[in-house]
Amino acid sequence: MLSTRDLAVGYEDRSVIDGLDLDLPSDAFTVIVGPNACGKSTLLRTMARLLAPRRGTVLLDGAAIRDLPTRAVARRLGVLPQSPLVPEGVTVADLVGRGRQPYQRWWRQWSPEDEVAVREAMVLADVAALAQRPVDTLSGGQRQRVWIAMTLAQDTEALLLDEPTTFLDLAHQVEVLDLLHRLRTERGRTVVAVLHDLNLAARYADHLVAMRDGAVVATGPPRQILTADLVRDVFGLDCVVVPCPVTGAPLVVPALGTLSLEKGSPCAAQS
Amino acid sequence: MTGRSEVIPAMPVGRTLVRLGPTRVVVRHRPLLVGGALALLLAAAVVLALSLGTPYVAPQDVLRSLTGAGTRYDLVVLELRLPRVVLAVAVGAVFGIAGTLIQTVARNPLASPDVIGVSQGAGLAATVALTAGASAVLIAPAALAGGLLAAVAVLLLGLRHGLAAQRFVLAGVAVAVALRALTEVVMLSADPIDGIRAQIWLVGTLAGKGWRETAYLGATLLLLLPVLLWAGWALNGSALDDDTARGIGLRPVARRVGLATAGVLAAAMVTAQVGAVDFVALAAPQMARRLVRAERPPLFCAALVGALLVVLADLAGRRLFAPTQLPAGVLTAALGGPYLIYLLLRARRKVS
Repeated sequence: MLSTRDLAVGYEDRSVIDGLDLDLPSDAFTVIVGPNACGKSTLLRTMARLLAPRRGTVLLDGAAIRDLPTRAVARRLGVLPQSPLVPEGVTVADLVGRGRQPYQRWWRQWSPEDEVAVREAMVLADVAALAQRPVDTLSGGQRQRVWIAMTLAQDTEALLLDEPTTFLDLAHQVEVLDLLHRLRTERGRTVVAVLHDLNLAARYADHLVAMRDGAVVATGPPRQILTADLVRDVFGLDCVVVPCPVTGAPLVVPALGTLSLEKGSPCAAQS
Repeated sequence: MTGRSEVIPAMPVGRTLVRLGPTRVVVRHRPLLVGGALALLLAAAVVLALSLGTPYVAPQDVLRSLTGAGTRYDLVVLELRLPRVVLAVAVGAVFGIAGTLIQTVARNPLASPDVIGVSQGAGLAATVALTAGASAVLIAPAALAGGLLAAVAVLLLGLRHGLAAQRFVLAGVAVAVALRALTEVVMLSADPIDGIRAQIWLVGTLAGKGWRETAYLGATLLLLLPVLLWAGWALNGSALDDDTARGIGLRPVARRVGLATAGVLAAAMVTAQVGAVDFVALAAPQMARRLVRAERPPLFCAALVGALLVVLADLAGRRLFAPTQLPAGVLTAALGGPYLIYLLLRARRKVS
C-alpha cells in the first residue's frame, strides 16, 4: 500500500536518499534495517509525510501522499516517531484519546466511536490498567505501549514506527514487538518499523528491507535474504548466520573480531 | 465488547461530554470550577476597588449604584472609579490571553509580550511620539503600530524554522534588546520632561484612562473571539512534539503561526492602550495552569487571573501610598521578581 517513486531526500546540503523506488507489501510486518546513518529513519519519516522529499513521490494506495489532506492521511496511516516528547501530567487515557484527533473537530470532540476505539486500543496495547496514570510517571516499556495505543486509537490500516524499541531492555523490546506482531496477525494491520537489532528483525519481520548509504540493498523474507554475505555487505561485519534454536529464523552471530577463545572451548570457530 | 473492557473509562476522569444538537464538546470540570471561583473573586475585587478611596463608599452602596438604584455616590462609583476598574479587568484579561498564547507557542513559561519584543516595539514608538511632541491622541496608534511592527519582525525571523519554540524566543529576545536600546537613545537625547513622561508610559498605568481604552480592548476581544474559541481546542495538541502532532493529522506550524499571531496582536493592542504592564502576561497563564493542574495554560482561567491581578495591582497602586499614585505596572513588576525566583527554585527542585 506504501511505495516510493524516484524518491530523493536530504537535509540542508546533504543528500541522504537519491532516487529510491520501493514497494512495501500490505498486510505484512516490514522491518527496515541498516547501519547508523544509512537513511532508514529518513525513509520512514518521508513515507510518513513528516519530511518533505526533494524529488519524487510517496504513494499511499497509488495516490501521492503530499496531495492528500493530512487529516485524511492520519485516518489511514498511524505514525510513531522516535522518542516522542511526553507532555507533562497528561494521563494515559488522555494521550491515547488524542489518537482520535483526525476524526474530531472542535465542535465535534467526542463520539461513541472515539470511546470504543480508545478503549480497544488501550486493551490491545495492555495499558488499560494504567488509564488514569500520568504518562510521565510510567516506565519506558509502558510509555512505548501507551504511544502505540495512541496510534492504534487512530484506527488506521497501516502503522509506521521509527525505532520503537530504542532505550528498552530486551524483555520490553520483545513485548513491544509481540504487540506489533499481534496487530499484524490478529488485526490484519500493515506494520512498518525501523529496527536496530538484526536478530529481532529476522524473528518478527515478514518482509525485510536492508539499506546502506540511502539505497536498498536487498528486500524479501528474512529467511531468504539474511545471509552472512548480506550482513558483510550492508554492515561491514563478519558473521555467521545460524538458525535460531527457538524460531528457526536466521540468527546473526558476529565473528570473533579481536576476541580470542579460551583453550578447550567447545566452540569451533567457524570464521 | 467483553465485560472487562466495559469498565475501562476511555474518557479521562474529570471531564464531561456536553451535547448540544450536533455539537459535542468535552468540558473539563476543574477549569470550570476554578473559573467560577475566579469569577467570584474578581467580582469581589471589583466591588472592593469601587468602594476603597476618598471618599470611602460602603460595598452595599457600590452595589446599589451599580444596579442603578441611585445613591449619592453615583458620581464617584459610576463615573470616577468604574471606567478605570472595568479597564483594569479588560487589560488583565487581554494580557492573560496574550501571555497564554505566546507561552504556548514558545513552550516556555518565561515568554511574554515583553520578552518577545512587542512591548519594546510599542514602547519605542510611544517614546518617539511623546518626545517629538505628538498630540496625546496619537500615542496609542503609534504604540500599536510599533508593537505590530516588532511582532511582524519576530514572526518573520522565527518563521524560517517553522516558528520552532526556541527560534521564536531567540528572535523575540533579539528584537526586544535592540528596540530597548533604541528607546534609551531616544529618551536620553530628549527633553528631560518628555523623557519622564515616556518613562511613565513605559511602566504602564491606568490613571486617567477609561471607557475609550476599554472599548478598544473590547473590540480586540470581539475580533479575536472566533480565534480564541478555536485556540482553546488547538492548544490541546500543543504539548505534543511536531512529528507526533503531524502523525495524528495536525498541522503544528500552521497552528503555531495562528496562535502566535493572535497572541502578539492582543499584546500589541493592550500595550498600546496602557503601556507595558509587566508580569501579568507572564504570571497569569502559569498561575492559572497550576490552579487547574493542566499540562498547558488554560485560556479562559488565565484571562480571569490576569483581570484579578490588574484590578488588585491598580487598587494597590492607588491606595498603598495615597495620595501618591503608583502606576499599576510598578506593582505588577515588583511582584514579578519574586515570582520568577519562585519559578526558578521550582524548576531546580524538579531537576534534582
